[in-house]
Amino acid sequence: MKPFQRYLKTIWQIVRKDIRVEWRGRQGIPVMLVFSLLIVFLFNFALQLSPELQAGLTAGLLWVSLAFASTLGLNRSINLERETGALDGLLLAPVDRSAVFFGKSLSNFLFTTLVALVLLPIFGLFYQQNLFHPALILALLLGVGAYTSLGTLLAALSIQARTRDVLLPVLLFPLALPVLIAAVEASRGVISGQSMGELQSWFLLLLACDILFNAAGLMFFETILEE
Amino acid sequence: MQPAGIEVRGVTKRFHHQPVLDNLSLSIGDGDICVLVGANGAGKTTLLRIIASLTRSDSGEVIFGGTNTPMDARRAIGYVAHQPMFYLDLSAAENLRHYARLYQIPDENEAVNLGIQTAGLENTWDKPVRAFSRGMQQRLSIARALLHDPTILLLDEPYTGLDQDAAHFLDEKLHSLRQPGRAILLAAHRPQRLLTIASHIAWLKDGKIIQHLPVERLSESPELVNYLQEVA
Repeated sequence: MKPFQRYLKTIWQIVRKDIRVEWRGRQGIPVMLVFSLLIVFLFNFALQLSPELQAGLTAGLLWVSLAFASTLGLNRSINLERETGALDGLLLAPVDRSAVFFGKSLSNFLFTTLVALVLLPIFGLFYQQNLFHPALILALLLGVGAYTSLGTLLAALSIQARTRDVLLPVLLFPLALPVLIAAVEASRGVISGQSMGELQSWFLLLLACDILFNAAGLMFFETILEE
Repeated sequence: MQPAGIEVRGVTKRFHHQPVLDNLSLSIGDGDICVLVGANGAGKTTLLRIIASLTRSDSGEVIFGGTNTPMDARRAIGYVAHQPMFYLDLSAAENLRHYARLYQIPDENEAVNLGIQTAGLENTWDKPVRAFSRGMQQRLSIARALLHDPTILLLDEPYTGLDQDAAHFLDEKLHSLRQPGRAILLAAHRPQRLLTIASHIAWLKDGKIIQHLPVERLSESPELVNYLQEVA
């Protein structure tokens, strides 16, 4: 088998394992989903906004719920590897350790995207908008991709800390600010009917964040995990 | 086939500026079982983790059967640590299959079946590991470490928490594993049980190996004999 095929197979094996563990335990996605729905309900009933104001806030609320839910998922994902030393098992294997990063990052991306796809129709129902727009889906994929790759890297960084559950959001939220701003602006623009040309800069910023955070994972994941 | 063996050369490791291992050197030959003794906190686990390439040393190197490339080293090593390294919601067979795939074992079904037999878990192979006792988890952990037929086997306090049956299982396993083409390093705080199995004993104290000799020459080191009596 060629080295690159082996690399992809390792990534797929980690994703497959994470999906299987999630299917058996059902402790990640359901919690993320319930948490994000609670945020939607709380904002909806607490703010009692007029339809005009709601339209402007939909994108922001969507990304706030996704960011919080994704952070829960990232914590769960890294704790899963830590609780019985399974991360050591991954690091002992004769595989490129950056493939472990991409495997974990891809699992987190898939789980958060799944939550986002469930959230979209619920948001649409509450805020009377059709959110299944191809450009919005693209913004979601790029934004979630950048957020989860940065989150996976920071979760690995915080794994040795005693305060890891608190440390992850403390590190992640400020560093993910460019991603969240670009994702909210791109989504708001799509919802309000702006063209892709007008929103190009936000999409490019999201793409740049995706490339930057994945490159950082490729370069630093092994160093971060070695004691 | 290259001879198995571990050579640790001048390894130093500090945590928070405190030296845990201080220019430590140790050589374990092909076919040897070396038991590493030392007080709690002496650095036994740190040394094993450095050999397993899980912890980076500040200086020095570890050479395996003539090579020190990380990927070859990891392919050669089987490691039984304090923690079992399993996903608790997956079954024994699913956990072994996961590792078989990571190690790119050509016939993963055969390797998994052999692993289940090695661990004596034929009746519980499909049960989640969460439901296993400490002894069952440790047996599965040993099967996991042997899955890719490693030439270097590292075991960290392997008898901790084992009942009599599981400890007896481990005795038999270690006897069967002592053969040319494999080198075994076991860390133990109370090593009496291992002295009947081991070929060599190494005493780690103050970050250095202060004694390293064949077990049959143990009587030549009264200090080590005294230490072993103290911790018995």
